[in-house]
Amino acid sequence: MRAEDYLRAHRIHNRLHQSRLIQAVLERAARRHAENPAIEPTTLAAEETERLMDEWFAEVLEAKDLPHDRIATQGRVALLLCDGPQKWPYAFLNSQANSDEFLKAMRDSSIEAGPDMALSSMVPREIDLGLITEAAGETLERMEKWPLLRLMLLWVLFVGALFGIFYATR
Amino acid sequence: MNSSRPHVHQFILPQRLRRRRALFYSSVLLLTSTATWFMADLLWRDGGITGLEWLLLVLFVILFAQIAVGFVTAMLGFYVINRGGDRQRITRTIDWESEDISLASTAIVMPVFNEDVSRVFEGLRVIYRSLEATKKLEPFDFFILSDSNKPNQWIQEEIAWVELCKQVNGLGRIFYRKRRHQINKKAGNVADFLRRWGKRYRYMVVLDADSIMTGEAIVKLVAMMERNPQTGLIQTAPRLIYGESLYARMQQFANRLYSPIFLAGLNYWQQQDGNYWGHNAIIRVQPFMEHCALPDLPGSEPFGGRILSHDFVEAALMRKAGWHVWLAHDIEGTYEEGPPSLIDSAKRDRRWCQGNMQHAWLIAARGFRPANRFHLFMGVMAYVSCPLWLLFLVLSTIHVFNQVLDQSTRVLGVEAYTQIFGRIIEIPEALVLFIFTMLLLFLPKIISVIATAQRSADAQRFGGRGSLALSAVMEIFFSSLLAPVHMMFNSKFVFFSLLGQGVSWVTQRRGVEDGTDWREAIITHGGQTFFGLVWGVSSFILLPAFFWWLSPVLAGLVLSIPVSIILSKGSLGAHARRIGIFLTPEETQPPHELSRLTQNLAECYKHMRPIEALRNDYGLLQAVLDPYINAVHVSMLRQRRQSEESRDWFSLLRHRLLSEGPSQLTTKETLALLLDAESMIWLHEELWRQPSSSLAEWWRLAMRQYNVLTAAPITALYR
Repeated sequence: MRAEDYLRAHRIHNRLHQSRLIQAVLERAARRHAENPAIEPTTLAAEETERLMDEWFAEVLEAKDLPHDRIATQGRVALLLCDGPQKWPYAFLNSQANSDEFLKAMRDSSIEAGPDMALSSMVPREIDLGLITEAAGETLERMEKWPLLRLMLLWVLFVGALFGIFYATR
Repeated sequence: MNSSRPHVHQFILPQRLRRRRALFYSSVLLLTSTATWFMADLLWRDGGITGLEWLLLVLFVILFAQIAVGFVTAMLGFYVINRGGDRQRITRTIDWESEDISLASTAIVMPVFNEDVSRVFEGLRVIYRSLEATKKLEPFDFFILSDSNKPNQWIQEEIAWVELCKQVNGLGRIFYRKRRHQINKKAGNVADFLRRWGKRYRYMVVLDADSIMTGEAIVKLVAMMERNPQTGLIQTAPRLIYGESLYARMQQFANRLYSPIFLAGLNYWQQQDGNYWGHNAIIRVQPFMEHCALPDLPGSEPFGGRILSHDFVEAALMRKAGWHVWLAHDIEGTYEEGPPSLIDSAKRDRRWCQGNMQHAWLIAARGFRPANRFHLFMGVMAYVSCPLWLLFLVLSTIHVFNQVLDQSTRVLGVEAYTQIFGRIIEIPEALVLFIFTMLLLFLPKIISVIATAQRSADAQRFGGRGSLALSAVMEIFFSSLLAPVHMMFNSKFVFFSLLGQGVSWVTQRRGVEDGTDWREAIITHGGQTFFGLVWGVSSFILLPAFFWWLSPVLAGLVLSIPVSIILSKGSLGAHARRIGIFLTPEETQPPHELSRLTQNLAECYKHMRPIEALRNDYGLLQAVLDPYINAVHVSMLRQRRQSEESRDWFSLLRHRLLSEGPSQLTTKETLALLLDAESMIWLHEELWRQPSSSLAEWWRLAMRQYNVLTAAPITALYR
């Protein structure tokens, strides 16, 4: 069941092809289960599918020495980008059905998040704000260091506004 | 700068430009002086000017000058368009019909932040296809620069990017970059791109997530840059599109109908001292990198610190360094979307308000051009004028209150006649001033309507003369009602910004028809309605004549709740469209690109959405469970060496994720896992390896459901 789900997650929808692959996976898993019955059959089936895929990707991509993580990632990305499961429905995990066109498509497919970097610096330049603004900025920065002063100034403004309204309306 | 190229276009002579600017500023001064004369005379009539009246007069001058700037700009634009267009404009530097246009390496960059993924990538598809159709795709690369910080959003963007690349054969030409740390928002996002890849490109076209530009428009921009090596930036004038609600449709109608004369007028006097509005513009990369990296302002936010509204400042810095900044106001094929409701518009204004107010620091900066100082000042005034207007109205009320107490209300009585050179004319002077102000406010709109109605083909593009006139009347009516509401909103924003406070908003609850619901409207506009009612009642008790003068402002405030709700309705917007109200040429004769985008989005939104239980963490689900999406995601991450402590922490998180489900992790923890390549590989393998009994129920459901959703062998673009 898990092997079937995993194949379907790879968009392998052809029933006949699925059955063949599941049979191959289960045979390998069963052999290992016989050797080591303590391991869960689900785990064994998943591991055997992965192993099969690693072998197949290494062969298809002609990259035999890559570690498991790299080949698994690279292989799946290549398969996705060349639309492998749709264009060559019998090719997946099947070395006999790999046409030259499929092999070329797989080997040419790679993903690039960005082109080669051409690093450069973009350093902010100070803007000369002019004398008055500079002075105002310094005052503000000083006030920010003295929160009590800021609070007092705010209250003075508020009381001043109240007086203004009182004067204007009396 | 290379100024010895054979085809370098000669722009306006300095003395002619000085004459144009003299005309502009003199006209503003003349109109403001005339109105000030009327106002001063009005205030003088009760026997001299008091302190309060002086204050009123000063406020009047400031506010009226702003109205005069808009009016004069529009009138100059009208004059220019009537003469068949300004000869001095950047778009005239190339003869599109006969010349073979040379292009140079250009990056089309689209910074995104938690946007609708389908809209972003379908928009990009349309731009890509349009550029491909020009057969000049070769020098262009596309970059989606993501700052999205929601796990779902990030994964959907990656999926959509790969799908788009596959479908348009854009691998190696369309790139996706997700920033690990979102420093300095959009300006920081673009600067990060420039530091990595800027050197590779001569130009970059900056887009917003909702921007659309046709291939032809982009090609023209690059060609204009090539032809004018002294030009550092060309800004286009994007048209508003895809408005569904009544509010959005009204805005796009107004933008489409009235803006041509304003833009032509703007170009008439500013010429190479133009401004940058942050998107739908082309920028020469090298000078931008050299001169436009922004320093912090004195003090800390909200007033100081990081510059929030970067675009005006970048234009000023570009000009300061000697590069031209142009407004290509007449270039076709450049679009953006507007906010769908009054409240959404206010939320956007809240952001812009803080950014624009920061510009007060820069108005007096050394080396800036006067025109750039003017842009910065007008940006500040766009928001500061609202509390000033409110203050003017409040002081006027106090003034009337004083007069009533002094029993000297004759100034508002019948004997207040207009005097011109000693001759008394039997018109109340306040009415003359009122009509004069209204004329300045509405004449540009009326002229735009008449000018469009005169050209039969143009009128047809707005749905015909009848539709055009009716739509304009409705737009003027609603915009008059909305003006005091904007005044109240912006006054609040300015006040809160000065106090360093944020503004809280009600969480939106969308109804069946979409749009603002009553609860949201009442909480948002309740204060404005109450203020309007109290003000109205008290002014009526004080002096009924004054109440009637105030009534246009009071009506907007008192009716703000129903008006806000009505304008936000998508159903009313659709109905208005059916009966021909607020139609724009982009709707009656949509360009190919917009029709294409509409079709594509309709297809996208048809896709089945994930079931409720899985929806919140669907991105994570796909990144862990789907072998392809996991592989794509992992291949986009940088492998990092981990310390012993972080290794333990990640290990704990991974086990928790599989055994307890994603709801037990915080967004920060989920993002941390998504950023760690080792964890993502481990999670994918373990999820498929572990027996169901050791997995959380959520994952078991995910595995059962995922195969149903991926029945079609595509990674669909979900909304």
